[in-house]
Amino acid sequence: MSDRSDLFLGLSALLTGFSRVQLLGTGVADEYLRTLRETLPPDVLDGLLDTYERLPGGDQREAAISSEILGDSRLGPVARNLILLWYCGSWTALPDDWRKSYGTSPLDTDRVISAASYVAGLQWVAAGAHPVGARQQGFGAWALAPEGGTG
Amino acid sequence: MNGEEQYDVVVVGAGVNGALMAKYLTRAKLRVLLLEAGPATAESFEGYTRQLTHFYGVKAKGPEAPWPPAVAAPQPDTHDIRTEGGYFVQKGPNPHASSYTRYLGGSTLHWLGVALRMLPEDFKLRSRYGVGRDWPLDYRDLEPYYRKAEFDLGVAADVADQAHLGVEFAEGYDYPMRRIPPSYSDQMLSTAVDGMRVSLGDEEFTVKIRNYPAARNSIPRGDFIPDGAVDERADGQALARDIGQRCQGNTACTPICPVQAKYNANKTLAQSERENLQVLTQAVASKVNVDPVSGAVESIEYQRYEDPGSPRHTVHRAKGRVYVLAAHAVENAKLMLASGLGGASGQLGKNLMDHPCLYAWGLTPSPAGAFRGPLSTAGVDDLRGGAFRAEHAAFRFDIGNDGWRSATGAPDTTVADAVNQKKLFGRELVEHLASTLSRQIRFSLAVEQLPSTANNVTIDPQYLDSLGNPRPVISYQIDDYTLGGMSAAAEVARQVFDRAGITDCTNSEEGTWFPSISHGDKVFHYHGMGHFGGTHAMGDSPETSVVDADQRSWEHRNLFMLGSGSFPTMGTSNPTLTMAALTLRTVDRLITELSS
Repeated sequence: MSDRSDLFLGLSALLTGFSRVQLLGTGVADEYLRTLRETLPPDVLDGLLDTYERLPGGDQREAAISSEILGDSRLGPVARNLILLWYCGSWTALPDDWRKSYGTSPLDTDRVISAASYVAGLQWVAAGAHPVGARQQGFGAWALAPEGGTG
Repeated sequence: MNGEEQYDVVVVGAGVNGALMAKYLTRAKLRVLLLEAGPATAESFEGYTRQLTHFYGVKAKGPEAPWPPAVAAPQPDTHDIRTEGGYFVQKGPNPHASSYTRYLGGSTLHWLGVALRMLPEDFKLRSRYGVGRDWPLDYRDLEPYYRKAEFDLGVAADVADQAHLGVEFAEGYDYPMRRIPPSYSDQMLSTAVDGMRVSLGDEEFTVKIRNYPAARNSIPRGDFIPDGAVDERADGQALARDIGQRCQGNTACTPICPVQAKYNANKTLAQSERENLQVLTQAVASKVNVDPVSGAVESIEYQRYEDPGSPRHTVHRAKGRVYVLAAHAVENAKLMLASGLGGASGQLGKNLMDHPCLYAWGLTPSPAGAFRGPLSTAGVDDLRGGAFRAEHAAFRFDIGNDGWRSATGAPDTTVADAVNQKKLFGRELVEHLASTLSRQIRFSLAVEQLPSTANNVTIDPQYLDSLGNPRPVISYQIDDYTLGGMSAAAEVARQVFDRAGITDCTNSEEGTWFPSISHGDKVFHYHGMGHFGGTHAMGDSPETSVVDADQRSWEHRNLFMLGSGSFPTMGTSNPTLTMAALTLRTVDRLITELSS
């Protein structure tokens, strides 16, 4: 695994709340890194990964990601888009004011990355469910109490 | 123009009605030509699966998402309502907010599968309540055909749940499959709500969360064998009975059941007697030719195209003893009007109806297990009938198992809100979504609409599609009768939410965009249910209707027009089962007539 991929996974794990193993298990990590590379102006992805690499470890890490990445006017919207990418499997066009300040690209549009990315969305896992139209649970499973249900 | 074939029956449209015609007429040794405007992709298992993959990859996941139209057979798309573009020319004042699909299999490819019978009182709305029209037949006439339709479509339900509001079943009868298990949220709601009393005018009703009949494979009763997936191949394989089979809870009835546990018309088509059936897909019926003296239909012209991406086509003519239009309520009317056959009654294309529908959504007090199971499994049916129908529309609720997906675009929009507005990330984000998504619940409040000649399909030579065929020009208005029903429905939904401890989150500003309409100080945002009806309504007189109770054209006695276009009124049941029953009744009459 290249350093960039490793940094990308580490950053993704911190942002999404899912472990590296879970993220790798989706099978779409490489596709997402490639999506960022193709969609963002060239220095933005490097800026994001480099900033992540410099974050302090331990207890200060979450506070640091808030201020250094999520609170940064250039990196924040990109990091939030990366969360949406992992959860929904689709890219969301960056805000207009971001594009004015930091550049545009023809791929920066609302789009599903691929059929596989749709199915891999973490939102379905978080919901305790399955992607609409895929990975179904089987006849009658919907009658069971969900985790945390009162039944 | 070239090619001319002779058949017993020429059928236009391979949806549920055309397929039932083909199945039973060919089994009665009658030779049938079935013309379908759209492509046949869904008839092979692999082709169907490609449509599913297409659905995964598109951003807008509406009812039409897996089924993009051919250039030569355009179709309405609910996304066009906002942009005012697309296939329909909408004259207003309100947009008709529904769609249908021009494919082999028709709109059953993306229907929800609700297979309710109409109520006995639905057939006698004028006599009972002084509104709408009476049907020229009643519930008892249709009851045997309802039973047959329930077996043809493969309906899962328990009579014990369904025998209410005057709906009676034959002695000893039960549905071919046991009811689809109620979802966990149905059970939660049932515990909280069953037995609650609501008032409409002077009447009091007891509300119950009730499982609805669904054309989805469940546990069979007796020796009934459910139909699995369709896999039409050159070597004669047609219906793979054991493939797919039972509902697996894909939460995708609309727009595509991945395993074909839900009925689609290709299942019926696959049961035809193949040597008596000729199916031509990518064949757009463009003109009905009649004998100017007798009025009898002499032939149907159709345009055949090879490439779904191109309007290039050749023109042909088909001949039969009898002709059947089963192309859809809008397409049937459009084809007749395009053929100059508007008719003397002035009713053709008029009385266009739907079940305009509101969403109500909220959060349950504890996890309800949203986003699991069939799209919905239960509803509230108790307000489908009653004396209030003299004053305002009846309605029924469908209770979703898919969170706020149809109302707001969840879970994507829930994630976006959590990330962009609430600024959540990491474990906090996971925990927020886990607790929120599972508690999302949505009601659909589908409201009856009465026939009105002001609501209609016409054509206009300035609006043509790429083959030169007219596009439907739609005039549509939701009147006070329906608005009164919407008002009552929204109020009952609020009371049910209250009773169940559901936090009402209904907020059109945060929901998906839908057309709006005002009623007093209220504004409703409605969508269509895909239930087009009324455009060639049946009746007992040629002066006031287009077809008779057999769906036979008054003016063209060898022409039948099938589907919900024949409905004089819509009631509150999803129309597919009733149109299937009507078609099976017409089939009986046709076989007797043509075999003698």
